[in-house]
Amino acid sequence: MSIRLTWCLAALLTIPLPLLAAVQDETDVDIQVREIAKTLRCTVCQTENIWESGAPLAQQMRGVIRDRIAMGHSTEEIRAYFLSRYGDYILMEPPKHGVNWIIWVAPFLLLLIGGFFLYKEVTHWVRDTPTPPSQSEPPLDDQARRRIERELKS
Amino acid sequence: MSKGWQLTLILTLVGLFALFYQGLWGDPRHIPTVLIETEAPNFEGPDVETGQTISLEQFKGKVVLLNFWASWCYECKVEHKSILQLHQLFKDNPDFVMLGVNYQDELADAQKYLQDYGSTFSHVRDLKGQLAIDYGVYGVPETFVIDQQGKIRHKWVGPITGEVYTNITQKVIAPLLNAPPTTTTTS
Repeated sequence: MSIRLTWCLAALLTIPLPLLAAVQDETDVDIQVREIAKTLRCTVCQTENIWESGAPLAQQMRGVIRDRIAMGHSTEEIRAYFLSRYGDYILMEPPKHGVNWIIWVAPFLLLLIGGFFLYKEVTHWVRDTPTPPSQSEPPLDDQARRRIERELKS
Repeated sequence: MSKGWQLTLILTLVGLFALFYQGLWGDPRHIPTVLIETEAPNFEGPDVETGQTISLEQFKGKVVLLNFWASWCYECKVEHKSILQLHQLFKDNPDFVMLGVNYQDELADAQKYLQDYGSTFSHVRDLKGQLAIDYGVYGVPETFVIDQQGKIRHKWVGPITGEVYTNITQKVIAPLLNAPPTTTTTS
């Protein structure tokens, strides 16, 4: 047995067994259910998607997704079904059409408007602030120079 | 900056703040329905009390009032008296049918609820939640009115009491049945 193979086997032994089992237990259907469920909003808990939510309705919705996958429906067909029942609200990410564009554009628009006004205001301050007259430093006299040298030495 | 630009900026800001304000003060739990004027999904399920199969198809051509409820739901208890009163009002009309849909409930709890609070019409069990999802239900009570052509004409989220009761009886069901009922209100 080569050294590389021995190292690979040793590395595998370091993986916790439950984790390995969990990865192996997840079927293609489970993965598809998870991917779809993560894009749909839980209608009773609002801030969670139906994959993460523990609400009974979210659980039932996951069951409906699984049933429809078993019936051969595609991801888009299943999402379209939920959309037809609950409207845009069911989607975690609002679709980019119609009035929904406001949600996507408004934060950047506000940032631009705010930045524009800030720029105008700052340039206004800079222009209106009088520059102080330039004053040359008075030369050090001998007494001051000696004092500085003395303090530097001490 | 020209006056035109200033005005555009101000109007944009006012518009955006108006939207945010509406979002802040609106009910975040309210989900606008997309089902009005769409075909009511057919369903089939066991009767809560008798176990016999009930399907929407058997009431084709009638005005159907569908009321989603659960024994654990407080607002369902609040509206129950009005729901019975509503049935009493229209039950003699051969074109009217009222169905309850028991949602996310245990059979024994649902049967006890009906025994305790009374029942004058049939109630179908939503065993896997499929029926509720088909109707875009997200809480109880929710009430739907389906017309003779099988289209959803009205949806109400919350108890059917007071003004809501008056509205649903006089402005929704009665015009559909083409026979105005006598004026009745509930407290």
